[in-house]
Amino acid sequence: MKHPNEATLALHAGGDLGLVARWRTERHLAKCGPCRDCVAAFAQLREVLPDLAEIPEVPWNRLAAEMRANIRLGLAAGECVRTGDGNEGATVRGSHRLSTGRAALAFASVVLLMYSGLLLERPSPVAVPLAGKEGPLVQATENGIQVRAGGSAFRLMNAGAKSVTYSASADGSLGARYVDPETGYVTINNVYVE
Amino acid sequence: MWSRAIPIPAVVVFLSAGTLLAQDAPLPPGSVNINLPANSPLALISTSLSDSRTTARGAALILDLHMSLTLRNSSQNRIHGVTLRVVSQEVTLGGKGWVTYPSLNVGPGEAFPARIDMQLMRPSPIISGTLVQVDLDGVLFQDLSFFGPDRLNSRRTMTASEMEAQRDRDHFKRVLAQSGKPGLQREMLASMAHQSEVSQLAVTVKRAGRAVTSAAVPGERTAEFAFLQFSDSPVAPLEGWAQLAGNEARAPHINVRNNSARAVKHVEMGWLVSDQSGRQYMAASVPSGDATLNLPPGKTARLDQEATLSFTSKGQPVNVQNMMGFVNQVEFADGRIWVPNRQNLDNAGLQKVLPPSAEEQRLTQVYLKHGLEGLVQELAKF
Repeated sequence: MKHPNEATLALHAGGDLGLVARWRTERHLAKCGPCRDCVAAFAQLREVLPDLAEIPEVPWNRLAAEMRANIRLGLAAGECVRTGDGNEGATVRGSHRLSTGRAALAFASVVLLMYSGLLLERPSPVAVPLAGKEGPLVQATENGIQVRAGGSAFRLMNAGAKSVTYSASADGSLGARYVDPETGYVTINNVYVE
Repeated sequence: MWSRAIPIPAVVVFLSAGTLLAQDAPLPPGSVNINLPANSPLALISTSLSDSRTTARGAALILDLHMSLTLRNSSQNRIHGVTLRVVSQEVTLGGKGWVTYPSLNVGPGEAFPARIDMQLMRPSPIISGTLVQVDLDGVLFQDLSFFGPDRLNSRRTMTASEMEAQRDRDHFKRVLAQSGKPGLQREMLASMAHQSEVSQLAVTVKRAGRAVTSAAVPGERTAEFAFLQFSDSPVAPLEGWAQLAGNEARAPHINVRNNSARAVKHVEMGWLVSDQSGRQYMAASVPSGDATLNLPPGKTARLDQEATLSFTSKGQPVNVQNMMGFVNQVEFADGRIWVPNRQNLDNAGLQKVLPPSAEEQRLTQVYLKHGLEGLVQELAKF
């Protein structure tokens, strides 16, 4: 009988295995007592682990700082060894090519992730918040007049007019009057908020 | 050096990501719906949406809509005004827009262009169904008859505009008859000088509560209106007040009396404000808020509005010191409209504060574009 390795049993104890792997492991466990015991031991250990974080006498921060220092030391030592190597230029160039490739791969992954997100998002319409806290209002903008409410706006533009006459009304409307440079007709745009 | 610091493939990929975030796309078919009733006096000859596009900016979507319509007068009367209602209910809850083309002179069978340029901004990139609905709200004919559902009171608005247009055309015709072309030219030059001198306020209107763009509010006070009285006005203002705080004014209330022999169903007051230096501005109009107003002869009524207006000029808040009101428009129960005559406006000094009418604005453009002869020919058409 071929037994699953310890990592698989540990993952199974935590419920972290995939669908197929879980099915295969469960089939094996049904027939194998030692593996069942192993899984039970892992499960018991998982229950104890959260409590370890609460033990005050274990200096987790100091341990983490020491681990970071050791990693930096290792990296520095690696640099020293590389500097002493006669084939330095080739190593650096090779490393640069490698990092360029990695960077491109990373960016491509990000773009792919964003694109996938957009594609997945598209079929489900998103509810549009239509009014902000301040409520809708009408106002003149640089090139027209608008009704604005939260992140939404409805603007009527002045179509390249040079001279625009604005008229507000206390009933909640705003008008912009101009002579359309293309048609030559007087045009009055109005927006209104209820 | 730069290419070593930032690898070229990474730049290409980054730019591609930027393109994904701000994409331009043509407007999807069916985004705009133009609806003219079957018995409409206007026929839609052509529609163009060229240069219209959508742009995705992060999570938001911006739609630039450039609509060029060609409409034909399919009635037997000359058309003097058209109002199109423009609605995007999905984008602006409770908000709407409309475009009015006053001062038209379109004969039966003639076609004319109409343009609508608009922009929609919405926080969702999803486009579905009709985004913009364009409906006919009304057509005003030369004899002041009207066609349309009139959901926007465009009958009254266009009739008042037509009354002002007739008033101003008559004025310029009279000047031409009395002083000849040199006199008409002087009038045009004076009008253009006046148009460039009129100070305009940037006004933000909110239906209730305070506008968001106001400056520091030092404390609200109740201020009374002073009134300009026109001898031939069918309605007289009696008293009025509004709440002032810094560059904000809200809740104007004005009591009026019907001095005419006919019932009145709509009154609109002009609202002037002056700043600390005494400079006057046309701030807004105050229409009667009651859509079912019925003011019999000799009776009084109160015009109530609850909106808040904030005033700025050249980006700076304009603190309101004083307010003045005048009767700007009266609609009788039979649909006839009264507007102040030019003499009234001159005598009250209002010509210096008020912008010119739509027709005067149009006639000065005709003068600029086609010269004095062109203007004389234009006046002869009416």
